[in-house]
Amino acid sequence: MTTSHDHIELSLEQSLDHCIKCNICTVACPVSAVTDLFPGPKYVGPQAQRFRHEHQPVPDDSVDYCSGCRVCNQVCPTGVKIAELNARARAQIVAERGMPLRNRLIARSGLVGWLGCGPQARWANAALTSLTLRWIMEKVLGIARAAPLPHYSTYSFRSWFRQRASRTAATTLGTTKRVVYFHGCATNYYEPHVGQAAVAVLERNGYEVILSEQNCCGLPLLSNGDFRAGKRYHAANVRKLFPYAQQGIPIVGTSTSCTLTLKDEAPELLGMHNAEVRAVAENTYDIFEFLRGLYERGELNTEFQTVERELPYHPPCQLRAHGIGRPALDILELVPGLRLAESNADCCGIAGTYGYKLEKYQIAMDVGQGLFAFVRAAESDLALCDSETCRWQITHGTGVTTRHPIEILAEAYGVAEGERGVEIAQV
Amino acid sequence: MRDTIVIGAGLAGLMGALALAEAGQRPLVLAKGQGATHWTGGTVDVWGATDGANVREVVAQMIAAHPEHPYARVGMVGIEAALDRFRALVETAGYPYVGSLERNMLVPTAAGALRPAAFVPTTMAAGALKAGERLLIAGFRELRDFFPPLIAANLRDQRITARGIYLNLPPIKRRLDFNTRNFADLFDDAAFRQDVGEQLRAARSTATRIGLPAVLGLRDAPAVVQELQAISGAQIFEIPTLPASVPGMRLFNIFKVAIEQAGGRMQIGSEVVRTVGSGDWLTTVYSTAAARQQEHRGQRFLLATGGIAGGGIRTDYTGTVWETALGLPLKAPEARAAWFAPQFLHENGHPIFRAGVVTDACLRPLDAQGQVVYQNVAVAGSLLADADPIYERCYSGLALATGWHAGQMLAMLER
Repeated sequence: MTTSHDHIELSLEQSLDHCIKCNICTVACPVSAVTDLFPGPKYVGPQAQRFRHEHQPVPDDSVDYCSGCRVCNQVCPTGVKIAELNARARAQIVAERGMPLRNRLIARSGLVGWLGCGPQARWANAALTSLTLRWIMEKVLGIARAAPLPHYSTYSFRSWFRQRASRTAATTLGTTKRVVYFHGCATNYYEPHVGQAAVAVLERNGYEVILSEQNCCGLPLLSNGDFRAGKRYHAANVRKLFPYAQQGIPIVGTSTSCTLTLKDEAPELLGMHNAEVRAVAENTYDIFEFLRGLYERGELNTEFQTVERELPYHPPCQLRAHGIGRPALDILELVPGLRLAESNADCCGIAGTYGYKLEKYQIAMDVGQGLFAFVRAAESDLALCDSETCRWQITHGTGVTTRHPIEILAEAYGVAEGERGVEIAQV
Repeated sequence: MRDTIVIGAGLAGLMGALALAEAGQRPLVLAKGQGATHWTGGTVDVWGATDGANVREVVAQMIAAHPEHPYARVGMVGIEAALDRFRALVETAGYPYVGSLERNMLVPTAAGALRPAAFVPTTMAAGALKAGERLLIAGFRELRDFFPPLIAANLRDQRITARGIYLNLPPIKRRLDFNTRNFADLFDDAAFRQDVGEQLRAARSTATRIGLPAVLGLRDAPAVVQELQAISGAQIFEIPTLPASVPGMRLFNIFKVAIEQAGGRMQIGSEVVRTVGSGDWLTTVYSTAAARQQEHRGQRFLLATGGIAGGGIRTDYTGTVWETALGLPLKAPEARAAWFAPQFLHENGHPIFRAGVVTDACLRPLDAQGQVVYQNVAVAGSLLADADPIYERCYSGLALATGWHAGQMLAMLER
């Protein structure tokens, strides 16, 4: 292992001893429920960890089948950090054996997004719906040909924001309240409408939205075990975001996985905890968490229009790992007429890049069955979920358009840009 | 957003949250992890009275003799009200319990011992044996820690006619490894039930009752039992397994649905680690979260984090004993040397397991001088002092009674 024995490492090691072998994680794990390839969190986490050592080869590969959904952490009654143990064990495998080309590619979502987003999106999207090309991608790279690749947007969120800024440069909001918007790769390259809704909602609440420089949060690298690159990515983001954090300007994101990475995943997994990293983490908010804070201080604009809809809502694993409850439910229940039915499914299966991998695609689909059944049973033409790959997976598994809950909130403010879910490349 | 906070998602916290939600309080349930429901067998143990003694009378006598016992704070009327509400809840959910406070049932454990319980789910009811019954105990080799031959041998030692066998898994159902949850999912599958039912019929011989591990489905266990009875021709009953307990999962699910339907919400994976109070009024608790703790300002707080086993009380080697969530004063043996009785199975149990929070009749926490620590906090379950729920065999009964009482007391609270 490349990281030194910092305090996080120590607390992980000690947390092994808190495992009382009650098997609550084993019965909660959505992956081991559907495949023999993953023996469950207790085995690959606190038990196998006793056989891992930084100077010895990794004794067992099955930890690679952990999807990183963190359900085990959530249910553990004694506080064992199982998901972190697994992520570090995977990184040790990658450090020993290197990373396959496929993983190196799909872990760079910024690069993949940049390649296809813009005027060339038409061609890129046509290519991704081409059965031949997807078949080749599957054979050569090991990217499942049926996996839900989103359509590229013909314009990036950043380009939209810049053009808009130049159009509206003269009009000031007359406000001193400012937030930094962390859009992440998905909003920038595939779903700019999510960012547009976020900007509209924040402005409705009297905030000037700052589009800071930013790069991919690096979560796909972390979940694929490339900690070295992940560290570079996170350090770069900290450099770009710290000046705002230092001024106490909140960093607000719509991607629950990006915000979780800034808050917790990167510092915790990479052992980065200097003052700058901490300041960025402590100033980062999921957008509904931020809005809930406004509401609790009596500052939320609650002039909502009635939205007569009943919609299925799935709180994604990465949101639950924030440990902040379901802030989207808390806020959206303030909208007159809107009723959300919460899924009780643990996971949609896709878990970031996991469900795109040929050898894991079917596992991801099997994990998602409970959620898919819930969404189908709701007989709604629209579902809501805070995390991008989860939205694409739900649409892939059910055919139901899935949007970010911020888009519904923008609608309630009367500032929606129309019904728009991302197209999923179906082959 | 929600000013009623329940800390803990075992039976006490869930019952308290239900009381609060039904009183219109929209509670938020915070818990470090999955509650103690998944650790317990799913029976309602009110008191370990044996030899056919009347449980109601035994508890009433105990209350008279021990006014400090948490049951005494609730009173017999309160205990029965809580049990009635619990039974109505599970009945409505299609998972009824049977039994009474007149006399405990004795039902087999996974070790083949007989355990007293006041109420058991109907799926376990046939485990309460009558004279002349012949038992078949059946299990699967693939389910660890459930050994039918061992259970049968131990029952025979208690003069119960019993035989233990292993069933065969249909080949298509094989996995490398099984847990209780996997089996529960299998029993929710009609073809699997048919296969097991036929194996039981073939193996039954003269047995009148068949005991199976308590994994007979998560969706509709009573229907699974009926179907297996119809196919096998014998009475079927579930025997609680080691954790994770499927009957406990069923209870958790029933409570979750009821609490959420009544306006409450559950947040599992969030441990309360810090508080702010003003005099005798608790204003805020903080739970663990990514990057910074989550703040919960509240008017009412129900504390049901469990005892030493559940994590509500911690001890260390120096003899320090502390309450983990709110830092409440505890009643506990002064020195570490006084924690334990000289024998492991001492007739009075061990003093350390009676450590806990002392309360008034409203279950509000008291300090050593008998003053209320927080007016707007109520304590329930194994965290309460002067009870040893495992030793007294009142673990689930105490949780339900004090949880319900604490919830009702808090719901009436006005500032």
